[in-house]
Amino acid sequence: MKLAERSSFSVAQNPCICRFSPQVVRLFVAVVMLCIAGRAQTTTGAKDSQEETIKVLLRRVDQLEARVKLLEEAGKTGSAPSPTPGSGQTTTPSESEAEQAQTEHAEPERMDVSKTLLRIRGFGDINFHGDNQKGDTTSFTLGQLNLFVTSDISDKFKFLSEIVFEGGPDNIYGVTRGQTNTFSVDVERMIVQYSHNDYFNLTAGRFHTAIGYYNTAYHHSTWLQTTTGRPFLFDFEDRGGILPIHTVGVSASGLIPSGGLGLHYVAEVGNGRESRSPFTEEPVQNVIDEQNHKAFNLALFARPEAVRGLQAGFSVYRDVLSPSQSPTVGETILAAHAIYIRPSFEWLNEAMVIRHTPQGQRLFETPGFYTQISRRFGSYRPYFRYQYVNSSSQEPIFPDVGRRQGPSAGIRYDASESVALKLQYDYTTIRNQQAISALALQMGFTF
Amino acid sequence: MLRSLDRLLIVVVVVGWLLGWGNHAARASVDQPNSSQEPLAIIVNTSNPVDDLSQPELRRIFLGERSHWPNARRITLVMMEPGQPERKALVTEVCQMNESDFGRHFLQGVFTGEVFVSPKTLASPVGVRKFVFNVPGAIGYLRASDVDSSVKVVRVGGHLPGDKEYSLRIQPSRASK
Repeated sequence: MKLAERSSFSVAQNPCICRFSPQVVRLFVAVVMLCIAGRAQTTTGAKDSQEETIKVLLRRVDQLEARVKLLEEAGKTGSAPSPTPGSGQTTTPSESEAEQAQTEHAEPERMDVSKTLLRIRGFGDINFHGDNQKGDTTSFTLGQLNLFVTSDISDKFKFLSEIVFEGGPDNIYGVTRGQTNTFSVDVERMIVQYSHNDYFNLTAGRFHTAIGYYNTAYHHSTWLQTTTGRPFLFDFEDRGGILPIHTVGVSASGLIPSGGLGLHYVAEVGNGRESRSPFTEEPVQNVIDEQNHKAFNLALFARPEAVRGLQAGFSVYRDVLSPSQSPTVGETILAAHAIYIRPSFEWLNEAMVIRHTPQGQRLFETPGFYTQISRRFGSYRPYFRYQYVNSSSQEPIFPDVGRRQGPSAGIRYDASESVALKLQYDYTTIRNQQAISALALQMGFTF
Repeated sequence: MLRSLDRLLIVVVVVGWLLGWGNHAARASVDQPNSSQEPLAIIVNTSNPVDDLSQPELRRIFLGERSHWPNARRITLVMMEPGQPERKALVTEVCQMNESDFGRHFLQGVFTGEVFVSPKTLASPVGVRKFVFNVPGAIGYLRASDVDSSVKVVRVGGHLPGDKEYSLRIQPSRASK
């Protein structure tokens, strides 16, 4: 009764409901019942599918557990079969087995692709130097700080650059430019290499010209060099050097099928070196060539298998220079080298002749060579170098060089795997000038 | 006359010594393969068509002087970490260098651009095996007992690790794990 009263009360309190007829109420109840039934059915379906999923997952867990067990057993027993002598190779898995395994372990070829592709290596040197040249003072000198950056762009492409910070003024063919104690930054090398196969590699960018051996062997790292510095012949363009050390262009290189002779080729085409004096600009023509003619260089060398460590070869470089207010000058550089390098012994020999032919004038030849020998005794490596360059005072491109020659002797001490201390004495005679005696102490390092 | 001959003899001895003949002779006597030493197997991916490599070819490959297989696939070198006996055997027997020279060789090679890619260094034989299994152009090395069917062992100079004439062996004093 109370309930009826309550119901009636509630109905009385809700005029909207009290307007529904009993049929409508019955219909409403039926619909609600149907909905509930439907929902119950759906829930049952979901339950079924969940059960199915759980079963699948359990099966997968079982499979994985079995696999882990197998692997553990394999680990305990020290892995699979060892090679069968005389069978041609080890027991090779069947194709399906290998395929299955490949699928299971499938990983991309470049395993560290998710990590950074950029690698940076550094080289640097700090020097203490003194000589008897008039105007020179004994000084501590910061050498080059070289950030060597490489990146494997893809399977076939690689990026490589040398970003060098160096102090002091530039000296271009005897013309000094810049402040004494300020640092400047040079992108000394910036290349993209494409490696098709061992017989064909293509390089584009700014690279070291393949003239002789030294230029492409040591680049801007003093730590890699035995001595404190490069031979006269291979001095950098902005340090008084006479060669086109850097080229902006393209280079093809690779092996020449030659069996044990180990023949290699390098063919380069590029902007060549700036020749328009006065030299107020960067000597390497990074952006614009002063003329349409391009410089060409072809190098061939052999690394015979029979004498490991030996490399002998030659190169021919050809360019046309166009100094201001004078006729164009044909430049040909012929270079030859024979080097023998083993971990404990090195003997480098290079000779070249630089031929300049101003249009309608006589030929000027500048011969030069150096020989360098060293032997390692534990951490110590004493060395000796003799070098020679002889340029005419009428030389149309570098009249300042003259004849300079002399020996260098020194010792390198590898204080650790990455730090080398070098002490070097140089005696250089220069035509019509006082001979220079110099002593240098250098700490070269890589980091 | 006698003094001149003496001087000549001294020069010959000094030059010979500088060229390292003494070292080579000493090395040759030390490095004779011993059949009791555990063989070092050279392994490649099973898809690699190469079955046999001469010792010079192997040296060129592990020194990064060859960057591609005959099928034009790029070579990926797999090295174990410095200090591992397998690595020591490879560096001394195949590359004929010490660890420091080997590191310097690669640094210089990458620096000059002659070595296209530096080697992958992995810590364990399992890692090496797995890497070689996964990378079609990979070449690595393992103790013969660590080799399984997931990789292919190549002959060196026509010999397999089980052969008496096989030249690549791990020094027994350091071979024990």
